Order: sequence, then C-alpha cells, then structure tokens
Amino acid sequence: MAAAAVSVSSAGSLLAMLQEPAPELKLHALASLNSLVHAFWPEISTSVIDIESLYEDGESDQRQLAALLASKVFFYLADFKSALTYALGAGSLFDVSDDSDYTQTLLAKALDEYATIRSMASGATEEEKTIDPRLEAIVERMLDKCISDGKYQQAMGMAVECRRLDKLEVAISQCDNMHGALSYCINLSHQYVSHREYRCEILHCLAKIYLDSSDPDFLSICQCLMFLNEPDTVATILNGLLIASEDDALFAYQIAFDLVENENQAFLLDVRNHLDALRASASTDLDSAQASSNDQTVNAAAEPSGDVQMRDDATMPSSPLTVDPNDSVQADRLTKIKGILSGETSIQLTLQFLYSHNRSDLLILKTIKQAVETRNSVCHSATICSNAIMHAGTTVDTFLRENLEWLGRATNWAKFSATAGLGVIHRGHLQQGRALMAPYLPPDGAVGSASPYSEGGALYALGLIHANHGEGIKQFLRESLRNTSNEVVQHGACLGLGLAALGTADEEICEDIKNVLYTDSAVAGEAAGIGMGLLLVGTASEKATEMLAYAHDTQHEKIIRGLALGIALTVYGREEEADTLIEQMTRDQDPILRYGGMYALALAYRGTANNKAIHQLLHFAVSDVSDDVRRTAVLALGFVLYNEPEQTPKIVSLLSESYNPHVRYGAALAVGISCAGTGSSEAISLLEPLMSDVVDFVRQGALIAMAMVMIQTNESYDSRVGTFRRQLEKIILDKHEDTMSKMGAILASGILDAGGRNVTIKLKSRSKHDKLTAVIGLAIFTQFWYWYPLTYFISLAFSPTALIGLNSDLKVPKFEFLSNAKPSLFDYPKPTTQQATATSVKLPAAILSTYAKAKSRAKKEAESKAQEKAESKVQEKAAAPSSEDASAASTSMQVDGAAEKKAPEPEPTFQILSNPARVVPAQEKFIKFLQGSRYEPVKAAPSGFILLRDLKPTEAEELVLSDAPATATTNAAPAEQGSASAAMAVDEEPQPPQPFEFTS
Amino acid sequence: MDPKLTEVAQMFARFKAAYSRNDLDACVTLLSQLKVHLTKFPSLPPLFQQTPNAVEELKLARDIYEHAVVLSVKLEDQDAFERDFCQLKPYYMDACGIIPPSPEEYPILGLNLLRLLVQNRIAEFHTELELLPVKALEHPCIKHAVELEQSFMEGAYNRVLSARQAVPHETYVYFMDLLAKTVRDEIAGCSEKGYDSLSISDAKQMLMFSSDQELHQYITEEHPEWEIKNGCVFFQKAKESQPCKEIPSLQLINQTLSYARELERIV
Repeated sequence: MAAAAVSVSSAGSLLAMLQEPAPELKLHALASLNSLVHAFWPEISTSVIDIESLYEDGESDQRQLAALLASKVFFYLADFKSALTYALGAGSLFDVSDDSDYTQTLLAKALDEYATIRSMASGATEEEKTIDPRLEAIVERMLDKCISDGKYQQAMGMAVECRRLDKLEVAISQCDNMHGALSYCINLSHQYVSHREYRCEILHCLAKIYLDSSDPDFLSICQCLMFLNEPDTVATILNGLLIASEDDALFAYQIAFDLVENENQAFLLDVRNHLDALRASASTDLDSAQASSNDQTVNAAAEPSGDVQMRDDATMPSSPLTVDPNDSVQADRLTKIKGILSGETSIQLTLQFLYSHNRSDLLILKTIKQAVETRNSVCHSATICSNAIMHAGTTVDTFLRENLEWLGRATNWAKFSATAGLGVIHRGHLQQGRALMAPYLPPDGAVGSASPYSEGGALYALGLIHANHGEGIKQFLRESLRNTSNEVVQHGACLGLGLAALGTADEEICEDIKNVLYTDSAVAGEAAGIGMGLLLVGTASEKATEMLAYAHDTQHEKIIRGLALGIALTVYGREEEADTLIEQMTRDQDPILRYGGMYALALAYRGTANNKAIHQLLHFAVSDVSDDVRRTAVLALGFVLYNEPEQTPKIVSLLSESYNPHVRYGAALAVGISCAGTGSSEAISLLEPLMSDVVDFVRQGALIAMAMVMIQTNESYDSRVGTFRRQLEKIILDKHEDTMSKMGAILASGILDAGGRNVTIKLKSRSKHDKLTAVIGLAIFTQFWYWYPLTYFISLAFSPTALIGLNSDLKVPKFEFLSNAKPSLFDYPKPTTQQATATSVKLPAAILSTYAKAKSRAKKEAESKAQEKAESKVQEKAAAPSSEDASAASTSMQVDGAAEKKAPEPEPTFQILSNPARVVPAQEKFIKFLQGSRYEPVKAAPSGFILLRDLKPTEAEELVLSDAPATATTNAAPAEQGSASAAMAVDEEPQPPQPFEFTS
Repeated sequence: MDPKLTEVAQMFARFKAAYSRNDLDACVTLLSQLKVHLTKFPSLPPLFQQTPNAVEELKLARDIYEHAVVLSVKLEDQDAFERDFCQLKPYYMDACGIIPPSPEEYPILGLNLLRLLVQNRIAEFHTELELLPVKALEHPCIKHAVELEQSFMEGAYNRVLSARQAVPHETYVYFMDLLAKTVRDEIAGCSEKGYDSLSISDAKQMLMFSSDQELHQYITEEHPEWEIKNGCVFFQKAKESQPCKEIPSLQLINQTLSYARELERIV
C-alpha cells in the first residue's frame, strides 16, 4: 500500500448514494457525508433540499443524522438560524461538549436565541410556552457543564443573560470564591442588564444568597439593598452590627459612610427612622421580656457575634438585653451612626478637609478681575461665579472681602448671583449657614427692606449650603416662600427649597411651590418648575402629568422651560418606566417640551449606556428642527454614557464636526460631562480643536468642558493641562475676545481649580452607583445657557478628592500610608504668582501706546533694544538661561520652574501621605496601606471615608484634624482671630466669617 | 481471504450469471444487496482505509459499479445511470493510485459524456471532459462523444444522426437513439427564433419527420404554443408571450427620495 493518503475529490458519489432507494445506503451516505462536510459543504449545499426532505420524512434513525448534516451545511452557509433549528432536530447527536467551531458558534447562537426568547417572554408571561424544550435542554446542559467544569463566571453570565436565576443561584453557591462571585454578579447586573425590573430581580436574588451565606459581606449587601430600596433590611443589619463587638460597629460606620456617598437622601432618612423604630421596639420589649422569660435573655447574651440576630427579625428585639453598662455604649453608637446617615459627619469632615487643605490661587482671580472690563456685567458675574466655584466648600471668602467695592457693581440679578455664590463657598456649613446668610435674608415679618435680589439670592444660597441635607432649613425656607409675594424672592426660595428637600417628595413643600407656580409669573414660575422637579427627583410621581398639563396651559416660555426640566428630573433613574412620559414629551409640538424630553431621556437612563436611549438621542441630535433640542440631545449623551467615559469621545466625534454650532456645543459638553475628572486623553484631543472654533459659544462650551475633564490633573500628568491654563489666561487677557468665550474661560478657570483644588467632578460613587445629587447638579448646571444663576448648581457635582481615615470615635487619628508614584505626578499645580504679576505689569508696555513709544524713542536705542529682547523672551516663554543680562528680573515663572527642576536630586518614586490626605482619582491605584502601622483599614478603599481599626487600643491616640482649623484660620483670615478663638473650643468647624454688605 | 469479501464475490458471481441470462429483475435485487454489502468495507471511498484486502475490495467494488452502470443502460433508466456512475467515479478518479486501471473505464466515461449530451447538459459535458487526461481523448469511445458534441454545436445535425451507425460499443445505441430527439428539440428551438412561420412540409423536413401526423403529434406534445394555420406553422405566439421589460419607475423614485432624505440627515 504505497499510495497512502488517498482521499476523495468530490462528494458527488455520496450525494448520488443518497438517491438510492435502499435505506441502509442512505444512512451510510449520510454518515459519510457528515464526516466530510467540512471539506465538501459547497457541493453538498446544492442538494441540501434532499437532506432536508430526508429529515422531514425519513425513517427515525435517518432523521437525526440528516438534521445534523443539514445543520452543518447551513452553518457553513452562515445561515445560523436554520442551522440552529436543524441542530435542535438532531437531538442527542448534537454534542455540546465538542470543541469545533461549528458547535461553539451554534451554542452561542442557541444561547442568544434562548436569551431573547426569555427576555421577550418576561414581557408577556403567556408566551412562556413558546420556548422550545429542546433549546432549553441544550442551554441547561451548557450551564451545568460550565458549573461542573468550574467556569463559574461564564455560568453566571449566561444565567443572568438567560434570566435563569435558579441556575445563577446554583452557580454562586457552588463557586469556591463566593464573595468574588457575588461582587462579579453585582457588577454584571449594573453594567450589562439594561432592564431595570430584571436587575432588581437579580439583586433580590443576590441579596438573598448574601444573607444566607455563613460569612456575609455586609458592605455589598447594603449597596444591593439600597438599590432595591429596602431601608428596613439595611436598618436591621446596621442595628445588628452596632450591638455586636467594636469591630462590627466600625463596620457599620463604614457601611453608613458608603451609603451616604450615594447621596440618596430619602433612603437614608428611611434607614434612620427604621433604626429608631428598632430601638424603640427593643426597649419596650425589654420590660416585657424581663418579666416573662429569662432564657431568651441568656440566648441573646450568648450570641455576641450578632450574625444570627440580624438575619432573624424575631430574635432581633431581644438582642439589646445585654448587660446594662453596654447600654450607654449602644446609645453612643446609635447617635454616631445616625450622625453619619444624616450626612452631617461626612459633610463636617469634608468641610474641615477642604478648609485646611485649601490651595486656591487668589492671583488667578486677581488677574481675571483686572483684565475684565467692569462695565461688562457678564464677565463681572462670571468672575464672581468663578471665585465661588474656586472656593466651593472651603468657606474662604477672602477675595470677596478684599474687593467689596468691586463686588458692589453687581446689581439686580447679578446681585442675586453674587449672594448665591456665598452659598457655594459655604457649602456644607450646616450649623452656621443661616447665621452666615442672615444679613441678606428677608427680615422676619417685615416686608423686605434690603434688595429683593440679595434676599432671593440668600435663600438660594441657603439651599446650596444645605443641598440634599435640608432637614434643618426646610421650615425656614417654606416660611420665607409663604411670606413673600416678590417674584425674585420667590425664585430664590423655590430653588432653595428644591435643593434642600431634594428627592424627599414632601407633600407640603410641593403644595407651597405649586401655589407659586400657579401665580403664572414668569420669573417665579421657572424656579418653581425646577424646584418641583428637585423635590420629586426620581419619584416618577403622577405630579409630572400635572406639570405637563400646566406647561401646555401657560404662555410663558420661561415657565415651560422650568417645568420641562422639572418633569425630566422626576423620572431620574427610572429607565423603562419613564418611556411613556419621554414619548409624550419628545412627540410634543412645543420645542421646549421636546427639549425637556431630551433631559428626561438623559436622566432616566443616566449612566446606563442603554442602546435604545443612545439611538433615540442620536436620532434627535440630527433630525430635530429646533437647535435647542439638537444641542440638548447631544449633551444628553454625556449623561447616558458617563459610566463608560471612554465611549463618549468616539460616539460624539462625528457630531463635534457638525456644521451646526449647537450640535458642536452639545458634543463638547457631552464629553465634558461624561469624562469629567478623568483627564482622558481622547476627550482632550476631541475638545482641543473646538476651543478655537469660529463660533463664540462653541468655544465657551469647549473651554468649560475642557476644565471639567482636566479638573484635578496637573501639568506633569498631562502637558496639555499647562497649555490649557496658559490659553485660558490668554483669552481672559485678550481685549478683542468675544464676551461669550471670555465668560467660558473665566468659568473654566474656576472649575479647573474648584474647591481649593481639592475636589473633582464625580457622577459615580466608589461602589459604582450613581450619585444622584451630582448628576442632578450637572444637569441643571447645563441650564446656564438660559439662566446664569443656575451655574452654581455645578457645586453639587463636586466631591472631595480625599482619603480620610477615622477611628471608632469618628475622629481623625494620625495615620500614614503610601502613594506609590512620583509626588509631582499628582501634586497641586504650582501657584502662578510671579507669572501673573509679570504679565499684568507687562501688559501696558505690550500695548505700545503713543506715549510709551515717544518715551522709548527718547531713550537710548541700545537700552530699548535690550528691553524688547527681554520682553519677547517672556512672551515666547522660552527657557532662557537666567544669568543672561539685567533683564533677569523679569524672567518668567517657567524659567524659574525649569531651573529648579533640573537642579535638585532625582525625585523619589513614592510618597508618604498622612491622614487626611489629598488623593486624586488617577492616584488611587497607587495607594498602599503600610504594613505594621497602628491602624488597619476596615475596607481597603483608596479614597473616601475609611474606618480604621485600632490595633493598640490601650495606647493614647494622637488626633490630627481637631486643631487644624484654628491654625488655618490664623493664616487665612487673621482679622477675625479674636472673635474666632472663643467659639473654637466648642466647635471644630471653622468660624463663620464676618458678614459684609454690598457697598451699593 | 476475508469471508465478507468472499461472500460478496460469490454474490457478484450470481449477479453476473443472472446478467448473462438477461434476468434483469434478479439482477436489480442482487445489485441492491451488493451495494449494501459494499458499504461495510472501510477500504472503499470515501474512507480509503488501508486494510490488507484493500486492492481486491476496491477492484471488486469497481467491477460491481461498472456492471451497475451497464445494467442501468440496459434498463434504460437514466437516473439510475447517473447515480451509479457518480458512485463509480471515485474508483477512477481517486483510487487510480491503488488499483490498476480498468479496461471498461473509457467506454463508461464515454457513455457518460454521451448521456450528458443527450440531456443537453453541455456545461457539465465540458467539465467532465476537462477532468480527463489528454491521452484519454485518443480513445475511440471518448473521441466519438467529443466529435458528436462538435457536430452538435456546429449544427451539423445530419452528421450527428449518421454517427449512430458507427458506435464504438453496443451500449451506446440506447443513447444514440435518444440523441435524435435532443437534436430535434434543438432544431425546433432554433426555428422558433429564426422564423415567424414555416410551411408544414418545410417544417416536416426540418424536424426530420416522415409524416404530417408525426409532426402534429410532436407539436401538440412539445410545443402547444405553436399554431397551425393555412398549411403553415406559426411561431409568433411564443415570441409575444415573452414579457417585455418594464422600467421600475416607482421603485426608483422611492429610492432616490430616500437617498435625498438620508443626505439631509448627514451631520
């Protein structure tokens, strides 16, 4: 047998055999073809009809083989649907465990098919029957195989996609690393499950598994439960942890901090109330339990771990029956956790951090102030606003104080804004907010003696101070709203109330605001619309329909716009539930309501990257007749995509080259919103050309967006940050620049250095949930297009870039950790002092007035030449050697910096940071906790609030922050030292600054 | 020798006996049994496994299929011919390295060519021809088929008909008879295109019919659209029935409009 490898050259003979009358021959032919199909499928495909007919009316043993053969042929022909149908017909001959392309592809197809059927069936429950049992069997076989092979992640993914929660449960419970599996599933459900109801189902299932497990991960469970809105369960868990050991209490605090970070005010309120209720029922039970049975007491005391109690509501009440001395400890812990849940603890700590670490650069503001023409009120207000943003939450108002006369030029609405700006500066100053604003607030009872503009602004400012934490101020704002009939004051009060009572859906407040709305005053009505929206955020209440009806009734465009935005706010995060309302709004005749519809889409699908929403927005972005709607549609993409910031530049890159400037503006802001705080290189590349656009407002948008993207990044991280800073300065100093882009540049410099260079814009909490206040804040901020005072809403989106470690007393102990990167990479930008002064001094010389020319001509020629040379060097920012000539005095900052950089020894590659420390988002991955330090973090998170476990509890603790504000106060505002020192002893917060009046 | 092989060989001997007796029914039953038996040999196509008896088995199988082809000609069953020939082909094409060529190879290939010609499957005819080596064309059986095709294409139908007298193999007679019919169909097709009408006598001569009656029968069976009138055959109707191509204006307008709409949307 020399001729070894002989093979057939054609399948013709076998195909001919198929035609034979004898069934044995047919079977033989089928079997042979089946083994050769990979080579001869083109030939076989011509007679696939014969094979199909064999499947349909052949004898039983032929049928399955024929089906398998037909399936393979269709697979090669890329007709996967038919291939799958026949593969199902092949029954057991279709081998799931096979590793060939054919099997893999068909299995994928089968899964897809099954998943689509399942998700369709969930819509209409009657359709359940239509699922092919064979298909189901195949999918189940696959799932079982994955589980038994240990490919749990695959199994979980498939189970989620196919809506088989039973299988998901099996996969998780069999998995060796259950915590990993559960967190994987939570991620999965947030990222890939676009259907809200189903996501809730999954999370329910996960929470159940979590609670049943022997060693539950309460951090994750509580996040889950928050999404599911089950405050009672969270309260039970927290209570259980609190009454247990010290460590567990730390854990409870950590959970509470994490929950607060998600900024869901209504939910946190509920948790707090449930905690109270649990306590109350526990104490009443105490008496009855002591009277009736003793063994229960023993039981509870014997279970110090608390694990059992928290799962079982029945044993819950008996748990606090522990020994008496514990009672005071318990009460103390309860107050602490309630403090955390109310948000006060974190706000206070943030305030201290921002105050003590404030690094804002007043010289930038000074430059802006000098460059801006005073009669130009747009730029004037923008500067005030920029100052407010720059000092957001730091309580430092030195700039305003030093420039009272200049500030007094703000009149009417500018005055309103200026006063409101104080609210941004003092944001979070909960205790003393009202005292701070007192000079501007309407006097009790009497009709406003001060200007209504400053009164309204003050009310708005109070709202900003108490944003999302308005328990203490609600009543006052309501009274102010009722006692006034001035529309400006009403305007401020509505905004303030909306902010303070954000998302609480308080009926009484709603009634008050509605009364204002029905006065049909344009100014007050606009704020009332927004205020109502803020109040009802995310409730999807039927009040939205009422608002929509009124929007159709009223004649005032302002009111319609306010209401449209308000309606959009009510559907925040409701996804599919909001579809009817969105449909109604986007089909409306009125472009303003369609515009509101875009916001509704943006907010309902915020951060979901939902394909349907993106599709709809893109459609409106290119096809609507109104420029406003198109602009908003593009901008809304930023909100829908903020959880995948790397996608946005790709999606809007074409739109950013649109012929329509409104679309370009929208594209810029969309990138700004979704890539905010990322410093993403693609985003910067997309925005750069837009900064030199021909249309002024596009430049404005691009500058603001760029600042949002670059916030908290410095020049050594991306060199374009430095370029951008210089460009901003250039635009501000340029006399011929358009007002619009100048305003953009001023605001951008404020945003770039926001919050004393210690905050970033974050729309997502660390647990990947959306931060409600931040998203809402940015959405309303984008309204500044129509109404400048709304610019202040951006302060809601700021979150501090800090790592704050806390001990069990919620104090800040001395604690050090490591940042494993070069310090310069994440350092504060260098103060611009010298350069700023140099340029501002040089400027008159550069103008070359005739007087200066005459003077210079009079001087010696050589001297003037030397001078010019020096000047040109400064302008070009060339790194000239500093020892050149007499003009060294005027060398720019850059030169100094460069010289300094070269001289010192090489930079260390790590940095020891001490608690509390500034940790910018990009730095987070370099953070390491030191081994062998006294404190150990409860949760290894690289930023935010972290509870520290004290490993040497007996030693005396060294606290850090408690005295920091006092010294800082001395530095920042020495004038008030005298009055401050007395109050400092009782209050850790920085002192309220002295009130000041507008001079005119 | 392998018992299976012996059994098949014996059965084949019985088949040959029946064949030589001209007992065709017995032949058909035996043949189908033989084919089933053949599927059990792994050395046969498409597997070509190297068993010790591979050569004998291949030779035997080839022999069986050769006989099957000839039998189908005898039965005048064209489908069976095609089936059997297709199954025989791998023995010629793919197994030529293992077993010596068969003496029957070229006659049967020629027969197949002839069949394709009869069925007017000219494309397949040429495909088959291309697969043959150059020296095969010298073989009288192949040469016969090739010449027939050439005359057929040239339109030298008389030469085609006269070739019946010079068949190289007795099995060819059946197909040569059928060829006359193919030629007539060809002529009928050409005259339909070439003439508007023909007188009955001309048509009779053209289509090689000896009587008017035969012509009438042919027309009613094969070309009912032809019309016989005034002693002439009219082909007009067939031409008219062809649908004229119409411009799909509405569709085009729609398409253009949608392009325009899309263009407007482009950003």
